[in-house]
Amino acid sequence: MIGVGKMKLYSNVLDKPLSKGKQEVSLSAFALLFSELVQYNQTQVDNIAELERRLDDAGYAVGARVLELLCNRDKGNRRETRLLGILSFVHSTVWKVLFGKVADSLEKGTEHEDEYMISEKELLVNRFISIPKDMGTFNCGAFVAGIVKGVLDNAGFPAVVTAHFVPIEGQHRPRTTILIKFAHEVLKREARLSQ
Amino acid sequence: MIVCVAVVGHQNNPLYIQSFTEADDALKLHHIVHCSLDVIDERVNNPSKTGTTLNEAFLGLLYPALNYKVYGYLTNTKVKFIMVTTDLDVRDTDVRSFFRKFHAAYVDAVSNPFHVPGKKITSRTFSESVTNIVRSYSFN
Repeated sequence: MIGVGKMKLYSNVLDKPLSKGKQEVSLSAFALLFSELVQYNQTQVDNIAELERRLDDAGYAVGARVLELLCNRDKGNRRETRLLGILSFVHSTVWKVLFGKVADSLEKGTEHEDEYMISEKELLVNRFISIPKDMGTFNCGAFVAGIVKGVLDNAGFPAVVTAHFVPIEGQHRPRTTILIKFAHEVLKREARLSQ
Repeated sequence: MIVCVAVVGHQNNPLYIQSFTEADDALKLHHIVHCSLDVIDERVNNPSKTGTTLNEAFLGLLYPALNYKVYGYLTNTKVKFIMVTTDLDVRDTDVRSFFRKFHAAYVDAVSNPFHVPGKKITSRTFSESVTNIVRSYSFN
């Protein structure tokens, strides 16, 4: 049924009604800004570890502010005190606000008790980035790892967060995993709360 | 009318304190704010049996003194907002909406990339918006 629900096409852009604006940012604008961020940091450092740390710090600042913002917007007003609670908060709410969708999966690490992983088939920030061979295992997802670290730290769950590529057979591009390793006192507190 | 508002961080460090009277008892107001921090801690650590399970941001009247009242509000990131008013017949809903606007202004101030979390809020925009909010509530 052609024409049903068709928007009125304005011939003159000045005739369009002023809208409140979409609550979205253009992906190309963000990709440009992010690439500039990475390039700028690349000129300032000598090695990969420092570059990763700088992206991490940049993400940390974003994470702290996103947490304040979400606490303001959150209607239910629950403060997360449990580990699973804060993890699912990061996995769904934070991801939805930042990337428009929930993260692909949240898993508990098998080797250590304090490790959790959030995986994503392709991180939004990495979409237009390809790492040259001589940079080894560097991952621009360190920015997203920094965001997660900022959110967790300011919510009272200090953790070490890193981003890794996990190659999946059958797919050309590897999957990205954010590895979250909680500090010792968080686990002790969680054990005490579970009693 | 509202005589003083304050923002206190999660380690009880002051982030912003502003008094709206010309009289020079600003120090007394600072002292009142400081004392009300204790009341907030008490409320948070020992929830009263009659209250609901502590999910409420608005803490309500912290303690009434002779000629002023102190209201508190606690965000999920443990940042506390304190408001001292000399009005003796404020409505609960008015105070709640005041804190809601205040929270929005606070989030805007913290989203500033040049703001260092934990340091005092030095943004002029924040002071202006707080003054506007306070002014719009002075005539209730």
